[in-house]
Amino acid sequence: MSRSRRLFHLDPLSRQLARREMREELAFHIEERVSQLVALGMSPDDARAEAIRRLGLTWVDAERQLGDSAEHKERRLDMRERVRELGDDIRYAMRGLANRPGFTAIAVLTLGIGIGANTAIYSAVDALLLRALPFAEPGRLMDIVQTSRDDGQSAWSYPKYKFFRDNQRSYATLAVHSSGQIIMTGADPERIAYEEVSTQYLATLGVRVAHGGDFPSELDVAGGAKRVVLISDALWQRRFNAAPDVVGKPLSLNNEPWEIAGVLPPGFRGLSGRAEAIVNLSARSPDELSEPWSLEFSMIGRLRDGVTVDQAKSEAALIGPRVYAAFPMAGGGLSTSKAPEKWTAAARPLNTIRVATGLRRSLLVLFGAVAMVLLIACVNLANLLVARAVARKREIAVRLALGAGRARLVRLLVTESLILALLGGGASLLVALAGTRILSAINPQETLRVQGLGGGIGAIGFEGIHLDGSALAFTFIVAVLVGLLFGLAPALGATRAGLVGDLKEGSGGSGRRVGASRRTMVIAEVALALVLLAGSGLMIRSLGNLLNVNPGFDGHDVLTLRLSVPPGVMAPDSMPGFYERLQAEIGGVPGVRQVAISDCPPLNNGCNSTIMTFADRPQSATGNAMVGVHWVSANWFGTMRVPVKRGRTFNESDRLGGPKVLVINEEAARRYFPGEDPLGKRVSVYQGGFHTGAEIVGIVGDVRFGTIDSLARPDVYISYGQARLSRMMLFVRAAGDPSALAPAVRAAVHRIAPHTPVYDLRAMPARVATATAQSRFIAVLLGLFAAVALSLAVMGIYGVLSFAVAQRTGEIGIRMALGAERVNVLAMVLREGMALAIVGLGIGLLAAFALTRVLRTMLFEVTTTDPITYAVMAGVLGLAVLAASWIPARRAAGVDPVVALRKG
Amino acid sequence: MTNSSTPLLKGTLDVLVLKALSWGPMHGFEIVTWLEQRSNGSADVDDGALYYALHRMEERGLIESEWRLTENNRKARYYRMRAPGRAHLRTEGASLERYARALAEILALRAS
Repeated sequence: MSRSRRLFHLDPLSRQLARREMREELAFHIEERVSQLVALGMSPDDARAEAIRRLGLTWVDAERQLGDSAEHKERRLDMRERVRELGDDIRYAMRGLANRPGFTAIAVLTLGIGIGANTAIYSAVDALLLRALPFAEPGRLMDIVQTSRDDGQSAWSYPKYKFFRDNQRSYATLAVHSSGQIIMTGADPERIAYEEVSTQYLATLGVRVAHGGDFPSELDVAGGAKRVVLISDALWQRRFNAAPDVVGKPLSLNNEPWEIAGVLPPGFRGLSGRAEAIVNLSARSPDELSEPWSLEFSMIGRLRDGVTVDQAKSEAALIGPRVYAAFPMAGGGLSTSKAPEKWTAAARPLNTIRVATGLRRSLLVLFGAVAMVLLIACVNLANLLVARAVARKREIAVRLALGAGRARLVRLLVTESLILALLGGGASLLVALAGTRILSAINPQETLRVQGLGGGIGAIGFEGIHLDGSALAFTFIVAVLVGLLFGLAPALGATRAGLVGDLKEGSGGSGRRVGASRRTMVIAEVALALVLLAGSGLMIRSLGNLLNVNPGFDGHDVLTLRLSVPPGVMAPDSMPGFYERLQAEIGGVPGVRQVAISDCPPLNNGCNSTIMTFADRPQSATGNAMVGVHWVSANWFGTMRVPVKRGRTFNESDRLGGPKVLVINEEAARRYFPGEDPLGKRVSVYQGGFHTGAEIVGIVGDVRFGTIDSLARPDVYISYGQARLSRMMLFVRAAGDPSALAPAVRAAVHRIAPHTPVYDLRAMPARVATATAQSRFIAVLLGLFAAVALSLAVMGIYGVLSFAVAQRTGEIGIRMALGAERVNVLAMVLREGMALAIVGLGIGLLAAFALTRVLRTMLFEVTTTDPITYAVMAGVLGLAVLAASWIPARRAAGVDPVVALRKG
Repeated sequence: MTNSSTPLLKGTLDVLVLKALSWGPMHGFEIVTWLEQRSNGSADVDDGALYYALHRMEERGLIESEWRLTENNRKARYYRMRAPGRAHLRTEGASLERYARALAEILALRAS
């Protein structure tokens, strides 16, 4: 009765059938009517005419219109049947799932975690790597840098930017920008992030101010222009209560008056992603903007219509050398480390520098790892489904024997796996939500910077990670794919099983093939788990090495903070006295043991550096000797427990006007004084007035001022007593927990300097932790993924062996009845488990060797083929498999031959 | 038979067909003659309209159809009432009856 119907439209055959049947029905009707009328005495011809008349239609119309009607009816019935079948399938699947809550819960949980972790990492990849830049036509935006063979990429000076701008034809607008911190002075001083830009900055990005106006074009001059500032929406709300008349009002920055020209649109904080204020760089003095080697600006440009990215690239390569030729480097220029070699310029789409390469790599590694976890979860699901299908072999065989179409049965089974996958997808959203919350909350800008992963566009940050439409679509697609791919194979396998064999319960004939596919899956699981274990093992080893690095100081119990004295508040000559009073005041706080000052903390991804020359050598003999320059107070070495290797450090007598002295680190001694005694040597350092020469009086241990994983570079130390610098950081050694001292120290600073913002207040251990944060983050995530993979693989092996034992109860019973010892049976099952494990481990090792290569640049003092890591991880996995095999093996050994044989 | 016949109200035909089928499965022509006999020809139904009604009702699941042999060994499409059809007949039939009675009473009133 219910015909099997295809798809949602009637196929042409059943369409014709509907029409033919209607014609037959109509013909029958007419014949019946005619014979009725003839029986009443009408002539056959009249009777026929009357019969047709009573139809109420002409014959032609009747045939056509009733045919249409019949076809329409068929189509509707067909559709209803499909919906009903689908409903049946879903109801059937739901009932099946509800009947096995344990199976369903495990499957949904496994998929929920697998898909959820993927969605979370996908959200991060989307926000950081994929999503379009939040500017108008972002594909037309280019970033232009200077490049040189030896020094890599470099920023622009104002004169060089101007030269480039005036000689190019590729860009509609060009702009330079730099970002930093500035003090918003006045009643309630506050340090804010700001950007210094040329007038076309907003026009290039395609951003319009929300209130007021952009920088007027008359500000586009080489210095000396009016001071104009655009403020962020957030600052406008916070400091001006969103007053509409803010335009034209003054704003005091670094004790200088700026005129507010406009308010930026909400959410826009410049390319740095943090700026509260954007000022015109042309407000600087013309002198400051005329220095061609003061390389401090980044350049962006918006391509002119019709100009391609490639054209812009080749133009930059042509203009670059001309820029270099136009501004020859002054001999021994102090402002730069750049050796006099040929420079050029390079343009690249802004989108390609959105995040640092290292960050991109880390994200992709995590994405790969999390995809493997999902793959293992899917293999496990497929395993469970195969086990179910085998358990339902009889039911399926009966259905097939009763004439159910194989297609219909496959559909039924796939519906079940699809529903499972969708339930898992639903559950995964909770995992993904939690994951994206955590990811977006870690604000790693500082973290990334000190690890050398900064750069990129600040506006592209972790705070942009959230579950959005694209993440939901991703989840849905993954869930459906998982349901289809990993449901289809077991469904096809189960319905292919031989009819006769399966009707006879207990026959192992078709079980073999299913067993083989399940074994393959277990091997795949073990292999994947080993890849993840090896990867996480390498990261953990690397992290261990990082944590064991001696950074050259002891920062336990040390609190660090910065304060910036607004320019103009203090006469330069009063600085040393100010520092002394400050140290004395903080030193008086209960719980403070030592106070010291330096200009730049360790593990800061580098500090200030310059050139050093030697009084007893011609400059050409040494080339440019680069040294890091550090201002310190006399007791800094003691406070930070930096060991004095030779000579002395600074003391009270090293003051302004006295003989200038320097302390160098061991690396500087090694590199610049090989086979010589540096003590007593005279050198010139081109900062802080030390170019006139100073004597080296001491050598101290190396301190890592760069990243934690890079060796110390040559450094020199200058005493605050002999050079003025407003930039400073306080190091306070506490008797106990340094963080507990923070409020008292802050109060002490404000007693001495009431209008000086204190910032960057952190304990030194927290800084050290920041320096290893990325490694820890990746090691923790990879470790987590590997742990999930390991437990899934163990579950998979346990499932397969338990099932095999259950199926072979009869066989085991026979073996035992024939004299096999329990130990033999135990060994047999264990052997089976270990055989799978060994094949999986072998494949996994090969795959891990190949795949962990992507980690190479992320590892510290570990090679990607580290034998210890591989041995340990393979051992762990092997033991886990052994443990997972133990329970089914014990069960097999416990089989009672009598019971087993009776049942079989 | 065909004179003084009245056109049917909308929806009435469905109820009449269901009524006919409540006696057992019938083919189209049987339904027509059943209706003609019971109403003494006063219910005027175009034979064509009957088939539209049958399609409509089959679509709605009130009836179903299948090909069978007649007593004279001829192939004909037989329609059979389904459970929803029976329910439809009960409710719609009752409301039609009420309507007809009310109509008859009103028309029987005479101005005094």
